[in-house]
Amino acid sequence: MATKASKTAARLMISPAVILLLMWMIVPLAMTVYFSLLRYNLLMPGMESWAGLENYRYFFSDPAFTSALVNTLLLVGGVLLVSVTGGVLMALLLDQPFWGQGFVRLLVLAPFFVMPTVSALVWKNMFMNPVNGIFAWLFKTLGMQPVDFLTEAPLMSIIGIVSWQWLPFASLILLTAMQSLDSEQLEAAEMDGAPTLKRFWFIILPHLSRAITVVILIETIFLLSVFAEILVTTNGGPGTATTNLTFLVYVQSLLQFDVGLGSAGGVVAIILANIVAIFLMRMIGKNLDA
Amino acid sequence: MARAITPRRKAIMTVIAWTIGLLIFFPIFWTVLTSFKTEAEAVATPPRFLFFDWTLENYAAVQERSNYFRHFWNSVVISFGSTLIGLIIAIPAAWAMAFVPGKRTKDVLMWMLSTKMLPPVGVLVPLYLLFRNTGLLDTRSGLIIILTLINLPIIIWMLYTYFREIPGEILEAARMDGATLKSEILYVLTPMAVPGIASTLLLNVILSWNEAFWTLNLTAANAAPLTAFIASYSSPEGLFYAKLSAASTMAIAPILILGWFSQKQLVRGLTFGAVK
Repeated sequence: MATKASKTAARLMISPAVILLLMWMIVPLAMTVYFSLLRYNLLMPGMESWAGLENYRYFFSDPAFTSALVNTLLLVGGVLLVSVTGGVLMALLLDQPFWGQGFVRLLVLAPFFVMPTVSALVWKNMFMNPVNGIFAWLFKTLGMQPVDFLTEAPLMSIIGIVSWQWLPFASLILLTAMQSLDSEQLEAAEMDGAPTLKRFWFIILPHLSRAITVVILIETIFLLSVFAEILVTTNGGPGTATTNLTFLVYVQSLLQFDVGLGSAGGVVAIILANIVAIFLMRMIGKNLDA
Repeated sequence: MARAITPRRKAIMTVIAWTIGLLIFFPIFWTVLTSFKTEAEAVATPPRFLFFDWTLENYAAVQERSNYFRHFWNSVVISFGSTLIGLIIAIPAAWAMAFVPGKRTKDVLMWMLSTKMLPPVGVLVPLYLLFRNTGLLDTRSGLIIILTLINLPIIIWMLYTYFREIPGEILEAARMDGATLKSEILYVLTPMAVPGIASTLLLNVILSWNEAFWTLNLTAANAAPLTAFIASYSSPEGLFYAKLSAASTMAIAPILILGWFSQKQLVRGLTFGAVK
């Protein structure tokens, strides 16, 4: 039983973690909000002055902002779509009996452990390069014009690269969930003559819903902040075609040294993430408490 | 009744699954293969699959280009360092929440997880300035601090999940048998907690090893781990496919192997036991 003494001890044991995380939340956050209200450029030190909401006005009226917002949502949505539907299909496939299951599982899982900079560079140079990439060679072999993916369909290409990295995670989680499905239920449905599609829709998919929620939650957190893949492939371009919010703020603050504007962008990114988070937490709450 | 699986069906499934598995794995296979080619063969069209002169020169060249081992060592120090410090802070916290739960434990846990929702870019500017003013920019200690903080909620959640599964009755039984506090910790609790701690350590090393936002933004030449080192190959003068492949292979191999070994724990750890 928890005594008064053990409660005190527990509080002491938790406090370092709580204090650190609290500081991690408050200190940089307060600074970001403060900076976002200043006219502050690192190239002109000592010239900081109060700007009020001016940075926000600039940020919102910058055409790059609209495209960054759209790109962020497309990137998150696109990768989620590919990895969740792909993950369900992979889970269905890997759940079937076949020879070498364990080995294929390792093959499918592997991209998850590849660091983002490596996967971006490998895809960019060895696959998507219009001169000596594998795709160019495939296209030529099939008698078609090679495509310069990162120039002609930049955002799609990045969605493709990031999907390759996140499909394994979704597959693994969904496969694990699939394997916990009571096979007797499926067999009973089969005996009753339920067609495959119906069995999938009414038994398998509801069973996977919790795992799907978890995949969406975890991937969204990471996908909102995709950065390295953009930095080493397109550098945000051409134009702002592949600039997401994270990359836009990086450009404004660390390349143009505009601390005020960058901070305003940071605050917007935080607000966006929180809108998504509230939405997700509701979904999770519905799925996990049941 | 088990559904009858005809050998034919199984054979078809084997072909489909292997094809898809190999397709997904192909970029990694191709990278490893290219690392053994000369630069000329690496860009040859049509691509050379197996018939080329195998060479190890790229691996030597990677080290010459920019002291690979220093970057490797940075990766090791940063990922293990931040994970270990995270564990030191998280173990007592998770332990207390799992065994002495209070009314607000659930809220505290949810709050901790919610700090993960803070997008890194939202706090990039102040942290960059703080680091610059304190001399932490481009140092391993600086990165260790950041990675410890961003991974702390995950470490606490993972440990909490594992600790929760240790049955309290065993502890009570040991006490009834007259176990002292020392033997209780040493012989009862530790053996049951160690596997969970080990899995948490492994998964967090993997996550920190591949973390790229902070490593790219807060390091330059000195403290750059492998993620940032590889990015240096994106410059036009760095376009050497074979060398890039060799560097990539060396950067991902250790963590890929570690990841394969821990794939079972991965599901439990990353989903906090919500998916079984």
